[in-house]
Amino acid sequence: MTQRWPAFLRTTAFRQTLLSAAMFAVSSFLILAFVYAASAGLTLRRADEAVNEEIAAVEARFEAGGITAVNRYILQRTVGGGEYFYALTQPSGRRLSGNLSGQINAQPDEEGRVQFTYRRPPAGEVSTEKDERTGRGRIVPLASGYSLFVGLDVHDEIRLIGRITNTILAASGLAVALGIAAGIFVSRRFVRRLDKINKVARGVKAGDLQRRVERNYTGDELDELSGNFNGMLDRVEELMHRMRQTGDSIAHDLRSPLTRMRNRLEQALMEEGNLETRELALERAIADTDELLGVFNAILSLSRLEAGESRASIVRLDPSEIAADMAELYEPVCEESELEFSSEIEGGLEMIGDRGLLSQAVANLLDNAVKYTPAGGAVALRLRRTAGGDVEFSVTDTGPGIPPEDRMRVTQRFVRLDNSRTLPGSGLGLSLVQAITEVMNGRFELAEGPGLVDAGHGPGLRAALCFPLAPEPVS
Amino acid sequence: MRILIVEDDREAASYIRKGLRESGHVVDHAGDGEEGLEMARAAEYDVLVVDRMMPRMDGLAMVETLRGEEDRTPVLILSALGEVDNRVEGLKAGGDDYLVKPYAFAELLARVEALARRRDPDAVRTKLVVGDLEMDLLARTVMRDEEDILLQPREFRLLEFLMKHSGQVVTRTMLLEKVWDYHFDPQTNVIDVHISRLRSKIDKPFARPLLHTVRGAGYRLQS
Repeated sequence: MTQRWPAFLRTTAFRQTLLSAAMFAVSSFLILAFVYAASAGLTLRRADEAVNEEIAAVEARFEAGGITAVNRYILQRTVGGGEYFYALTQPSGRRLSGNLSGQINAQPDEEGRVQFTYRRPPAGEVSTEKDERTGRGRIVPLASGYSLFVGLDVHDEIRLIGRITNTILAASGLAVALGIAAGIFVSRRFVRRLDKINKVARGVKAGDLQRRVERNYTGDELDELSGNFNGMLDRVEELMHRMRQTGDSIAHDLRSPLTRMRNRLEQALMEEGNLETRELALERAIADTDELLGVFNAILSLSRLEAGESRASIVRLDPSEIAADMAELYEPVCEESELEFSSEIEGGLEMIGDRGLLSQAVANLLDNAVKYTPAGGAVALRLRRTAGGDVEFSVTDTGPGIPPEDRMRVTQRFVRLDNSRTLPGSGLGLSLVQAITEVMNGRFELAEGPGLVDAGHGPGLRAALCFPLAPEPVS
Repeated sequence: MRILIVEDDREAASYIRKGLRESGHVVDHAGDGEEGLEMARAAEYDVLVVDRMMPRMDGLAMVETLRGEEDRTPVLILSALGEVDNRVEGLKAGGDDYLVKPYAFAELLARVEALARRRDPDAVRTKLVVGDLEMDLLARTVMRDEEDILLQPREFRLLEFLMKHSGQVVTRTMLLEKVWDYHFDPQTNVIDVHISRLRSKIDKPFARPLLHTVRGAGYRLQS
């Protein structure tokens, strides 16, 4: 990667600062324009109004006494060095009277208004450049070709306006510069804190899962980010740990049937003459393979469910059909195992789910009930609407049950309680039930069964799957 | 029967080939989808066994092409992808049955033979007969040796499937899929229990059994 700019210049914070500095500059300019229009405009307008009034006064003299009266008036007004400038010009262009020396060095606009410069040296001195001042006035035509100019000195006002403008400009420039400096400072701090997070991320990427971002607990965004980042790492670590555990369990659970299979095959090889033993060994080896495949398939289904890949066929369905099918499928199984089977199925319920997965979950519970309940016991399948308004499948048996302290544990992968180690099974059945329920937004609950039935039986187990009722269809 | 295996895994192909030959079938082998398509076009086969994932042209594309050419030869698709969605894809592409790897050879053989049978025009049959066992598909009645046998609806469907495939081995998985429409393996022997119930109704009262257990494979209904 090419590093063309220092890191802090490339940060978002710095770019934000630049942007706000630019916006600040633009708004200062607008404010300046406003101040200028308000103050400078007003001052000049006042000067213009004063000039207009004076012109009106001169015109009144002209009406009354003609050009002579005007001449006299101008003389009166200027003899003491008055406020206004005058210039009265003949039709021929010759100056008749007035106190403005030299020509007006600017072009008047349509109204005759003009801003010009003139020199007013202190008494007795020759005028120089620095005596130059600004005036503002208006030229109006009088009758019979005479033209009149009246003006005012606005030099001080314009200088004041200029000074105000410069001050505002300087202040804005300073503010923009300070803003950029602050931006650099803030973004460098920001970069330093982000760098810490990045360093941890790189460390984790390199394999050190123990690393965490140091927090300052101020609750600001970066602190929150660090918190979330650490939380994410905790989760990743937990998943890795669980995966390793699952890996170990798989290795353990697959190793024993694999070893058994290997031994049997070896033995079959050694039994040269005895065909019958050999065949038996091979058949058992195939049974072991099937067991292995069963574990394997269960692991695959579980991972797919946990990855949320099995949502494709989730539809609105009638759970009583599934319950009835399951009752029909398992009733003879119970009978054969000398278990009394009963079912109680409430109709007219609707829920959202996947028929195949739901059947599989209920089948798993029934499988377990049949497997763990001793002969002479009972198994019941029930579908009902609970008081809380859920659809509940429950399978109750009179088997040994699961002690309360183990109920959380049995839904974990590969957990098999000690008394079940000798029975066939992968230790994944209830994990699968749990995963299936979660995919369909349901709950899986384990509780004590109907209690001691008679000596040697009970307390039994009640396994329930609860799902929300389907929302009323929009008609 | 003449069977074409389209499978890129040589070892798997030779294993299937050997097994099918030993069961008395004539077997050809194609190593990829394109070769398979050419061979299927060139000769008349009773069943095609097609692996789903292959180089050059995959199994689904090959079957789709054949179906596009009005070739109705029954196809069994083999695949390592076993989710319901994958099965649906396979059947939509024109496959007639779908078998997930790894499988027992007995399972493959049973399904191939069941598929070949399907070509017979039995869609219009209203009566199935195996020995002295008769099933009336319209009246939904079953008789053996002039005696009425009362069956539950599911038992009826189970027997119907067995009778339609009489003389052939049907596996437990086939029954679970075709009669119950479940695609998972129950931990308990549910199918065996249902078969034994059916057996007690159609076989027990009579001298000669019709429903036989085939060890390591499944069941066969045969007179």
